[in-house]
Parts: sequence; structure tokens; C-alpha cells
Amino acid sequence: MAETQKKQPGHWLTLQSAGTGGTWGCRIESVGVKLPAGRLTTRELMSRTSHHTRIQLERLTGIHERHVVGPGENSFTLAAGAARDCLSHSQHQASDIDMLISTSITRSKGPSSQSFEPPLSLHVKQAIGATQAVNFDLSNACAGMLTGVFILQDLVARGEINCGMVVSGEYISHLSWNAARQIRSLFSKQLASLTLGDAGAAVIVERAPGGSGIDVIGFTTLAEHSRLCLAFPSSLGPGAQMYTKSRTLHKVAIEDMAPLVAETIGEAGIDLADIDYLIPHQTSARAIRAGTKAFVERLGTSPKHVVVNLEEYGNTSSTTLFVALHKYLEEQKIRKGDRVMLLALASGIEIGIAIFTIDSLVDSYGHTH
Amino acid sequence: MGTRIDAACAQAGNGGRKTTARRLADAAATNCLALAGSNPRDVDMLINVGVYREDNMGEPALAALIQEDIGANLGQPPTGGTGTFSFDLLNGACGVITALQIESGLLGSGVIRRGAVVASDVQPDLQNPRARFLRPAGGAMLLSWDDRLAGFTDFQTETFPEYADLFTSGLVWRERQGIRLPRRGTGNHQMVVAIKPGYQDRLVDCSEEATRHFLRRVGLGMEDIDLLVPAPSAPGFVDSLRERLGVPGDRVAYTPEDLEGTYTTGPIAALQAAIKSGRLGEARNTLLLAAGAGITVALALYRQTPP
Repeated sequence: MAETQKKQPGHWLTLQSAGTGGTWGCRIESVGVKLPAGRLTTRELMSRTSHHTRIQLERLTGIHERHVVGPGENSFTLAAGAARDCLSHSQHQASDIDMLISTSITRSKGPSSQSFEPPLSLHVKQAIGATQAVNFDLSNACAGMLTGVFILQDLVARGEINCGMVVSGEYISHLSWNAARQIRSLFSKQLASLTLGDAGAAVIVERAPGGSGIDVIGFTTLAEHSRLCLAFPSSLGPGAQMYTKSRTLHKVAIEDMAPLVAETIGEAGIDLADIDYLIPHQTSARAIRAGTKAFVERLGTSPKHVVVNLEEYGNTSSTTLFVALHKYLEEQKIRKGDRVMLLALASGIEIGIAIFTIDSLVDSYGHTH
Repeated sequence: MGTRIDAACAQAGNGGRKTTARRLADAAATNCLALAGSNPRDVDMLINVGVYREDNMGEPALAALIQEDIGANLGQPPTGGTGTFSFDLLNGACGVITALQIESGLLGSGVIRRGAVVASDVQPDLQNPRARFLRPAGGAMLLSWDDRLAGFTDFQTETFPEYADLFTSGLVWRERQGIRLPRRGTGNHQMVVAIKPGYQDRLVDCSEEATRHFLRRVGLGMEDIDLLVPAPSAPGFVDSLRERLGVPGDRVAYTPEDLEGTYTTGPIAALQAAIKSGRLGEARNTLLLAAGAGITVALALYRQTPP
């Protein structure tokens, strides 16, 4: 029996929906992106590994190239650039932002390969002129940006704030270079590091008129699998190294994703077939296809489109969902009235799901803008 | 109706070589749950606010590891149960109060029924004695919703970015000097903590200013605050602030000596002292305050009055 038809007696997810608590709806008002101009093809990256690996990375992952930072660029500049782009698509001024949350995993700024204090969010809010905003940083691996939206949703719904921004700048390609020095085969735990690309993304959420907005947003942490993906500062070079048990992570995610998706669409009172665009965390095209196929089989229905934008960007860690959403808005693939599901999957294991309907958000993107 | 503090627990590290931020947080969380008579599976949200760790792990969030260690809903909960959502929040010495604000809101919305805030730090660079500016410690708090209590009613976070460069910290890459051996790293990342002269004085100035702004906003005077619970943000900070604000010593919760110099755990250590002395239970209006890099000052008003 399809799991969508099962009655959910409680919520596995920590869940917010139109029916919970607050008075107000919360909507995504604008999305911004900052992509560094530099590009690195998968062919070029693999030609610079220390060992002859025979790994056909592009065929395995669907990643042709990724954007990489140039001199003077870092996590902070990407985050600030994305925040400015977000404001350029917004009806709001920087001075309207009541809260700014920075969610980068990487926090490089100036001489620091990873800054700790003051929080990066303080520098971003000063850079864009949101001086009155309450700011803090949040770290939740690749689920960071959606976690930030989860927090803002509650604050907006209760009327504590009117408008908030979540921002992330990921200069993470140094993991690729560090991994390239050690990887010998397809079975290396650093293989996932070769998929990474740099990007900044930002999103403004605001009080929705008429109580509409994000239909459902939920999260849970499957902590028994907390050690399947670990990243530490490297001793090979500036930045970090990441070790991932990709096959196990993928298996666990597929196993647990189906009931969590079922719970979310059940809370929204819809069917998976009502989702026009499913935007999953971008890891590899093959993993996304296999994962989607598995939970579609279990749920008995499928979304109309599954977004894969790895070819040009690679895995941009915490920014992937909003880089993909931004691209589809700019290309006018997503239209007013379309229902979108964002699906975050991150080390922890963190699973986050949000469903919302596209509204006037589209008016600020594409050639009509 | 409001958020109530069920328990607060802070403990200093024993100075052993095996002290880690994770172990300190685990111990504090476990003791806090025991103190409240709660089961780990009842925790719907776990926010870790510690900053300085021995390994400076980038991912996953340390909160996920703490969740696993304390055994809070590791996988799918029993039918009808809710899982645990864990993540890290970084706001330096003010992290606890920021996390309290988030969880208090979610408790009020009914999104969570019980929240945990966990903090821990170890010396950021054990190789460099000059970088030793804190006392390794861990702390945890448990929160729930109480229909008979006003609880946490107001929060405020104020930043003074003109003083942002007075306290900075970050990892800096250092190339290894001398002969490079095969299979050895070419360098390492060192935590550089820079505290400039004047930081501690500005911390007091900013805290006084932010407190006066906050009290004006909530319509209270300093005389209405029965108990001030300031995190011991810097040596002498609490006494200097108390004098500036004109608060008698008997209305201040002093952190015991063995927890002086704790960092993100500071607000929990001060709160624990207030609970143990019985003064939190007697106070109608309690003001929690923390101040740190940014300069950021965070305040929370906890009212043990009917809603």
C-alpha cells in the first residue's frame, strides 16, 4: 500500500504548517545568487589528481563543470554578493530586514580560512546595510539554508518579525583540491569532495498577505547515522577534507526519505503528483535519479519534474536548493501557481522538506524583470 | 502561558587530556536530563551553541553527535512520537540566549514540546598558551511550555559593530617549516584569537547601553528586576556592569569560582547558580544577559508571574 494513504498518527518531523501556532503566513519573497566567474571542468580537475584514478567522474555524477572562486573571493564575498542580488529582486530595502542568519559551512574571510568570531552574519549585514537586523550564524551542513528558513518561518508566523534573510557563501572547492591529492580509486571516502563547487545564495522570507505562503516545512535528524559524512580542517592545504560513506548515506536516505516525504505531503493535504517541481539537494545526477525512483516506487506517485542542475554548478553544499530555485526562476521554467518541494539532505543525517506555491515571486525574474 | 526553565546544568572540564567539547556537552546534557527527570526521547529540538572545539569539525553539526551520544530519537520514533531536530547555532558568548529565543518561540507555537540548549568549549589552541582565554566547560538547559507561567517574555540582541575588531578568532593556515616528509601534512590550521586592549571596557559600556534600551522597550526600570543573571563574559565584567546599572549585589547571580571564565556555557553557569541558591525561584522578574564578540549583547526577560 502506498504510504501516502496511511494515517500519520504523529509527526516524525519537527513540523510547521499553516495550522501550527502562528497567526501569519510566511512566504519566500526573493532569492539571490552569487556565482564566481571562474569555472573548473571535471576533466581539468581529474587531470590534476596526484594519482591516476581512472574515475569517470563526469559520467558518474553528471557534473561537467563548477564555478570556483578567484583571487579576493571567499565565503564572505559570496554571501554578501548573494545578499545584494537577493535585495535587487526584492521589494524590500536592506533596512527592512529584521533578522539575518548566515548558514555557511565554510566561513572564510580575510586571512582566516574559517572565521569564528564575530559571526559572519555580522559582517554580511554590515556589508549590505541591514544594520538593525538581529544576526547570528547557524551550522547544519548542507541543510543550513533550509534550517534558517525553518527558524524564520516561526518568527514571521508569530509576528515577531516581518522580514528576514538567510544567506550562505560557500567557498568549498578547496576540498576538491585537497581530495585530488589523495584519491586513488572510486572507493575513496573523499570522492564526494570532487563534486563540490563554489556559490553564494540568499533568500528573503516575509509575512505573507492573507495567511498564504510556505505550506509545510519540517526537519528531523537521524542521529544514529551522524558519522557518515565528516569534514575537518586539512593538514594538506588551506581548507578542509571531507570523508563520506556515500553508499551507506544514500541507502539510509532512500530508506527514511519516503515516510518523511509522505508525512509532509500528508500535512499539506496533497499528493506527490501535485508537486510540480521537486528540488532535491544536488549531489550527483545518478544518486538523485536512483533516490527519486526508490521513493516514488514506495509512495506510488511521482512529482511532475525533478530538478537536476549539477552539470553547470556541481554540489554547492548549503546553497544547492536556492541556486537551483534561482536558476529555474530566471529561466522561467517555474511559473506562478506551481507547487515546489525543497528537499534538503545533509550530514547528520539531516532531512528537511518544504512545500510552497510559487506566487508573485516569479515577477522579479527572467526577461520580464 | 510561557516557556519555563526545567533544568540548567553546567560543569567545568577536569583538565584531563581527553576533555573534548563533545564529551563536555554530552555530560552536561545527560546530567540536565537526569536533573529534570526527563527522557532523551522527549527532546524535540537540540541546539548546540558551543564555539571552540578540539577538532574544529565543519560538518555534521556537533548537535547531531550530541543527540546520538545522549540517545535522543536516533532513528524513526515509535508510532505517534516525534523525532529530534538538532543543529548548531553560532553567536559566540550570546549563543545560549539566541537559542532560548528560537526554542521559546517554537514552544509557544506548539511546534516543539521540549527543547534543549547545549553549550561547550575547550581551549581553541592547546599548542599556544597565549590562545588560552577560556575555561573548558559544558552546559545544558531544558525548556518546556507552562500554561501557568509568563516565562520568557522578551528578548533583545543588540550589536555594536564599531567594536567588531576588538575580539576576532579564526583558523589560519600555517605551512610546515623545514623538511617535508612523505605522507605527512604540509602544514596545519591554527586558531588565532585576537583580543585587543579596551575590549573588556567596551563590553561593559555596550552591555549597559543595551540593558537600558531593553528595559525602556519593555517598560521596566532596573528596580523592577529582582535578579540579574549576567554571564561572566570577562574578568571583572559582572561587578563593573552591576555598578554601572546600580544593582545591589544581593540581586545579582554570581557564578561560582569553578565556573568563572567559561565561554558559551557562561549564561547557563550563572543560571545554575541562581537556581541552586533558590533565588531564581523567588524572583518575579529575572534578566539574563550575555555579551561577547561583535560586540553583541543579548538579553532575555524571564517572568515567574501568571501570564
